[in-house]
Amino acid sequence: MIHHVLAVLDAATPGAGPGNDDLSDVAAAISADPGGSAAHTGALVHPGAAGHVDTLDTQPSWHDFRQGWAMYREAVFSGGIAGLTLGFMAVYVVLRRMVFVSAAVTQAAGLGVAASFWISLQLGVALDPAWGATAMALGTAVVLAGDPRRWGLSREMMLGIAFALTAGAAVLIGSRIPQETGDIQAILFGNAVVVSAGDMHHLLWTSVGVMILQLWWFRGFSFASFDAVSARVQGLPVRLLDVILLLSVGVVVGEVARALGAMPAFAMSTLPGMAALLLVRGPLWATFAVASLIGAAAGVGGYLLAYREQFSVGPAQAVTAVGLVVVAALIHAAVGLAIRLVRWRRRAA
Amino acid sequence: MIDREPGPEPDEPGELVAETRRLVVGYRGKPLLPAFDLALRRGTVWLVVGRNGSGKSTFVRTLLGLTAPVAGRVIRRPRLRMSYVPQASDLDGALPVRGGDVAVWGRLRGWGFLRPWLSNADIDAQRAALADIDAAALERTRFSEMSGGQRQRVLLAQMLASRAELVVLDEPTAAMDGTSERAAYRRLRELVAERRMTAVVVTHAVAVAAPFADHIALFDPDDPSIEGGRVRTGAAAEVARDPRFEDFFGKVHAGTATGARA
Repeated sequence: MIHHVLAVLDAATPGAGPGNDDLSDVAAAISADPGGSAAHTGALVHPGAAGHVDTLDTQPSWHDFRQGWAMYREAVFSGGIAGLTLGFMAVYVVLRRMVFVSAAVTQAAGLGVAASFWISLQLGVALDPAWGATAMALGTAVVLAGDPRRWGLSREMMLGIAFALTAGAAVLIGSRIPQETGDIQAILFGNAVVVSAGDMHHLLWTSVGVMILQLWWFRGFSFASFDAVSARVQGLPVRLLDVILLLSVGVVVGEVARALGAMPAFAMSTLPGMAALLLVRGPLWATFAVASLIGAAAGVGGYLLAYREQFSVGPAQAVTAVGLVVVAALIHAAVGLAIRLVRWRRRAA
Repeated sequence: MIDREPGPEPDEPGELVAETRRLVVGYRGKPLLPAFDLALRRGTVWLVVGRNGSGKSTFVRTLLGLTAPVAGRVIRRPRLRMSYVPQASDLDGALPVRGGDVAVWGRLRGWGFLRPWLSNADIDAQRAALADIDAAALERTRFSEMSGGQRQRVLLAQMLASRAELVVLDEPTAAMDGTSERAAYRRLRELVAERRMTAVVVTHAVAVAAPFADHIALFDPDDPSIEGGRVRTGAAAEVARDPRFEDFFGKVHAGTATGARA
């Protein structure tokens, strides 16, 4: 499928040069292929792998974007869906000091993709990388949900092992299948210019399922996460809730890593939580709601930034998420300053 | 060894909510203390005292069912409602929760979270609990903006909202000044009497807390007179006269402010 889309792009942009991995490539393709046939191929384009697609000399315009909307639509929606869901869970990730868990799970998802390619090539067994990513992410989440003290290890030791193992193994496997290295790199770093409708639907339904459970059991997840001992004393199944929470992170990260890339999956599963914690002064649910919206803004805004500035999509989404954290920190500082000023004036009066 | 004051039962008609039989607490099969018996009855306050590392926290975890005993048993009344009040510093100060959020967690029990919304009864219990400890104004205050004492009061409100029969409090006044400490123990004493609950309080503020206690359990793993240490349990005034207790905490007026129970 990938090759089909690349073929469309190749055909659309004869005489292409190497080294371009930005959305202008697709804009060029769309311009030459206004029917947007590539958008319906059910494939994922990794411009880094495409390599031989030409770049427009001029900066792509929003008019071009609207014209090519049929091709970009799934990727934009996927960014928004991923941000909404991962942003929600980012609050848990940050408050429970699980940022490194998220990093390890996203690396594992990348390894799952690489392993899927390798198995397909070496064994001739067609294995969907989406399943590989999800299976590895879930497996890692299950291992990390266990009690490492049984093996005489601390949680940090387990995280270090999991991160180093999955990151290293992904690169090693990638080196064994050089013909797919570009695709693997694209998935690890997130150069998903086009997301297939199938991947988007997969991500959508997974996210819907996870969010229904998260909202339904919200009171249990929050109590068990933030005051685990009291929750256990009051009879809540804290262990089960912990495992389900980690599996929820794992399954969504797996889907997002496959659809958008591991880098934006990591960014969206951590940074929106930080931004929301800086911004929200209201009730607990408001922090989660704002984190979801910030995640969605990072997913969609990052894509638009990548389009406009001809960046790779995944890094643009990650940087957008960081930018939102910086904005939140500035607002937080300004509000804090204003409050101190008001108090000082009251005291002076 | 077991060292228990004889015959407190005639003065304590309260229903037995939990007891320990030949209980040995410890970690990974290693005992921290010798076996001891305790009988926890309704309407009473127990102080658990001892030096750092004497096994107080391990006992509490064992009593609450969080840690398995090395030997012996903890017997709780069936369907006993328990609540644990951690030290305020045990909760992350950055939690994006307000006083009301923390207090209403006390209403969650078992699989009750399957109902995703709060009932009117939950909200009423939350507000009543906050009001009971003069913390109604903290309902909408962010946990991160509270002082240590305010956080502790919100955690006490969580305990009250839970309507627990057995409550375990870990250093409940650690973040309070002396005056607030006395007020907190006096209020705890009143609440124990009003609600007929059992309170087990782990504390180092023995001089402040002892007047409000019915019983004291002194954990003394280093007692030089007995190999393996000693657990001294009994009426507060009696244990407070124990030489080892006086070595640790000096002369303390124990059990002198327990009139609210009568």
